Amino acid sequence: MNLEDELRSALERREPSPDFTNRVLARVSGAPARRAARPWVRWVAALAASVLLAVGAVEYRRYQGERARSQVLLAVRIAGGKLRKAQKKVQTLHMVRRSVT
Amino acid sequence: MRTAAFLGMFVLLAGLAPAQQVKWNYDKLAARASESVDVALDGALLRLAAKFLSDDDKDEAKIKKLVAGLKGVYVKTFEFKKAGEYSQADVDTFRAPLRPPDWQRIVGVHSTEDGEDVEVYIKNEGKDISGLAIIATAPRELTLVNIVGAIDLDALSELGGHFGIPEVEVEKKK
Repeated sequence: MNLEDELRSALERREPSPDFTNRVLARVSGAPARRAARPWVRWVAALAASVLLAVGAVEYRRYQGERARSQVLLAVRIAGGKLRKAQKKVQTLHMVRRSVT
Repeated sequence: MRTAAFLGMFVLLAGLAPAQQVKWNYDKLAARASESVDVALDGALLRLAAKFLSDDDKDEAKIKKLVAGLKGVYVKTFEFKKAGEYSQADVDTFRAPLRPPDWQRIVGVHSTEDGEDVEVYIKNEGKDISGLAIIATAPRELTLVNIVGAIDLDALSELGGHFGIPEVEVEKKK
């Protein structure tokens, strides 16, 4: 038998056995049904997700607040320092003028 | 009639508009600076920061009071590796928005010790100070400060003597 005959034989249309349909139906009805998740599981999952989101939001707010606080301290240090330097200089000049007159 | 109403509304809204921060363009200097400090706090962030400032700490309590009425704090400091990285023309661009009648230069000092110039400008609305701007230039450093809102200059200056900056006795006006 050459290759062409082998292929023809292998791909030849064959009718299923007469009990094929019954066997498939029997298997399908015997398969365990997929159970739906219990409603309370969904509620717990939703609650847990909400709590996680809320904790994340609070933590992020705290981080933003601490960062803003340190920025305010830095800004006051720089701005106040420069202002004070100018004030000190004016004060010194004022004192020098007073001592001259 | 509609145009007049629109213009009237515009003027009204302009009057109600919050005090604005000074528009400074830092891009040129930022490209040349070796290091920089950038603080930009709008009203919402200042209110948030105030919640995190301690009432028990003496300095923090004072800062909390100081920033309570502010609408914005903006500080930019540039440090350069060598002198001459910025020109007088660059500084002039920062002075440009601080013109009368809105702004008044109240102090301009030069220090021969470290070659630093400090210029202090205030913005007045009626009798109250509604803004502060400081331009401090040293050979290798340039600092720009803009505070939007009613600021207590004495309190700010006093707090500037803390945080490692030596306290200096300043004569108060009687």
